[in-house]
Amino acid sequence: MLLEAKNVSKAFGSFRAVAGADLSVESGEIIGLIGPNGAGKSTFFNCIAGDMPVTTGTIVFDGHDLTRSAPEAHALAGIGRTFQVPATFEDMTVLDNVMVGAFLRHPHRNDARDHARQILDLTGLAPLANNWARTLGTPGRKRLEIARVLATTPRLMLLDESLAGLTPTELIEAIALVRKIHETGVTIVIVEHIMEVIMTLTKRVLVFNQGHVIASGKPEDVVKDEGVIEAYLGRGKHTKRG
Amino acid sequence: MTKFSPPWSALIIGAILLIYPMVFSGAFYLDIGTTFLLAAISASAWNIVGGYAGQVSVGHSVFYGFGAYCPLLVFQLFGWPPLAGIPIGIGVSIVVAILIGLPTFRLTGHYFSMATIAVAELIRIFTGTWDLVGAAIGLQGPAVARGWWDLTFRGELPYYYIFLGVLAVLLVITAMMERRRFGYYLRAIKTRERAAQSLGVPVLHTKIKALVLSAVFTSIAGSLYSLKTGFIDPESGFGILISVQMVIIAALGGAGTLYGPLLGAAILIPLQTATNTWFGGGGSGLTYILYGGIIVIIARFEPGGLLDLWDRLAPRKWRRSRAA
Amino acid sequence: MLLLQVIVGGLLLGAIYALFSSGLTLIWGMMNFINFAHGEFVMLGMYAALLVVVYIGGGPAAFGFGAAMALFILGVVIYAGLIKHVMRGPMLSQILSTFGLALLLRYTAFWIFSANFVSLPQTSLSGTLNIGGILLPVAQLVAGILAIAFTIGLHLLLTRTTVGSKLLAVSEDRNAAMLMGIRPDRMQALAWGLSGCAAGIAGALLATAYPWSPSVGETFGLTAFVVVALGGFGSVPGALYAGLIIGLIQAVSAYWFGPIYKDIVVYGLFVALLWLRPQGLMGKA
Repeated sequence: MLLEAKNVSKAFGSFRAVAGADLSVESGEIIGLIGPNGAGKSTFFNCIAGDMPVTTGTIVFDGHDLTRSAPEAHALAGIGRTFQVPATFEDMTVLDNVMVGAFLRHPHRNDARDHARQILDLTGLAPLANNWARTLGTPGRKRLEIARVLATTPRLMLLDESLAGLTPTELIEAIALVRKIHETGVTIVIVEHIMEVIMTLTKRVLVFNQGHVIASGKPEDVVKDEGVIEAYLGRGKHTKRG
Repeated sequence: MTKFSPPWSALIIGAILLIYPMVFSGAFYLDIGTTFLLAAISASAWNIVGGYAGQVSVGHSVFYGFGAYCPLLVFQLFGWPPLAGIPIGIGVSIVVAILIGLPTFRLTGHYFSMATIAVAELIRIFTGTWDLVGAAIGLQGPAVARGWWDLTFRGELPYYYIFLGVLAVLLVITAMMERRRFGYYLRAIKTRERAAQSLGVPVLHTKIKALVLSAVFTSIAGSLYSLKTGFIDPESGFGILISVQMVIIAALGGAGTLYGPLLGAAILIPLQTATNTWFGGGGSGLTYILYGGIIVIIARFEPGGLLDLWDRLAPRKWRRSRAA
Repeated sequence: MLLLQVIVGGLLLGAIYALFSSGLTLIWGMMNFINFAHGEFVMLGMYAALLVVVYIGGGPAAFGFGAAMALFILGVVIYAGLIKHVMRGPMLSQILSTFGLALLLRYTAFWIFSANFVSLPQTSLSGTLNIGGILLPVAQLVAGILAIAFTIGLHLLLTRTTVGSKLLAVSEDRNAAMLMGIRPDRMQALAWGLSGCAAGIAGALLATAYPWSPSVGETFGLTAFVVVALGGFGSVPGALYAGLIIGLIQAVSAYWFGPIYKDIVVYGLFVALLWLRPQGLMGKA
């Protein structure tokens, strides 16, 4: 078991954004995390990545208990994440952005730069290497975020809506990129609203609602689950879908 | 490209500064020259934590003051050469830097800024009460040199070249830092700390390193000052105006750039000398009104300083290239 | 007995600290922004009171109102002209904006008013009361009590009025507030006005009871930081308790160690606070 998050809760005052969520991920899986807006998916990611301290629960990654560790320790252990709203370093070039990621495992500048260039080639960003990050549109920034976190040589990548807002062509390329990354051995958990992404990429899907997992299974089974439909639509238990 | 090939700009600036005293000889110009160099050193030191790391210290005089006091203190108390006090000043500054940074770097940026000014004022007032360190009267250095090691020169020329040497070392260190992992991490922290953390950047550790490095050189700048003037008191060591000068010089030229502090000093030191001579005694008040105004304008319109303005307005080929 | 007098005197001054510090904490809690020129706002409030008395005449109500209005306007103007634009910018901009402003205001005041200490001409509040053996200057007593009243008033304004709840809504969640039809920009401008107003009234109260010069702004500014840090980010009640505590500590320190040490103790307390309890007495961490 690569990642074992058990009974994770995160409370902001009296509001429980995450309430007893569990997630187990085996090495090599590619898992989808879906659910309505406000269900707590991003907060859950924040907890797994160490960005926010959990109120209760444990997070064990590759045998290490990371529950009380700082985000830097999570990254060092091999967890990488993207942000729902891209958080690229605007005042740095595309190459420099990726180099910041590369420096984690390549402390020396030339090694980091070589590794960063490889990542840029892999992600198709090589032509933009010397452009300022702020000149990229949102799709470019999302791709840059993926490249940047990939440069940290993660074992687990948490993608938070990294494929949202893309044109159909861009989406095909992005799905291919994620698949390529997965094939290099990176375990992936992806939060998405786009069903095409979930159906084509993931083998297992968890449905989040009101802070915890309400259903899990194969994508094609989960989307027919009545509880899931009710969560999204918020009404009527008796709708049957073919 | 693994060899270090010095860029033309560094050579030109270096050459200008080297021959300046020969072209502009005479006590008046030499004085401006040494004041410029000292200001450039302090501002470049501040720049490491304030400009590159984006942690805005407005009480940096605390490090300057310790650097300035220790040499004269060891002379007054033990009769040692003031030089021996320089490492002590550095040591104290490092400790203070860690004491300020460790609790505040975990919190939002404002806490650090408030802490720097509170600590600087605290030390300033305290020094003014403590007779051992001269209280309000201050300390003096050797009136007559007992040997070369007292560094009490009659002319200013030797000081000029010593200061120039220190500035060169500081700039080389800063340039090297820019290119290495530490420099990238600082920029990442300054731009988006949370994203930097997610990439494994050890934020607290990096910020403290930057503050310590900055404190060390600020302390050296203070030591150079008291070695040269042979006198220090709470105001000239720990005063808020010392902090202000460092900040405005770095910010005007371009905080977070290698040459920004030099540019800022090149503009402000002659300006300050001019306003002081024009307005006489009341001039210093007017100077600080001007400084306040300049700082507000920089903050409001051009936080990147003049070098940033240049980048935006200059034709493409004249723009500065970035490290990497 | 003398100690008791010192304590009461400290609490009275501390009440005024509470008043102007609540202005600072309001801004901090609402916009995550520290006004490094807040001490100068108080200092200007003191001079505004003086100018009203000298040029317009009138008693405490007149100069109190004058100082309050002048600083309210200054607060709004500073927000609209400067703060609004640097708020979302880099930390350097944010810190330098009000830091530079502090210098500008302080040295302009030195330029206009000189560095001499001044005080208000004798008003109806002169004289000293003897309450149970404690000597209390009437002006200090009235100033302190009014300061507490105004601070509580501010707190009630924020928690019991519609305007207040709008201000708090913006501070909780700017976007949600916008969706409810509240204009964050206006509310923030109002907050700056109120912050200035609190500083102005505090200045007027201080002017009735203590002499001053442009140099007091710097000390008041730092004192406000300590009060706000102790009381907690964004908490007006916290500022009230903390102000009283700081006033008390300062007065007792001056009594025990000597007047020169009073600021040292307060600033030292600040550093200790940062190490031990940065969220203060009542703030959210």
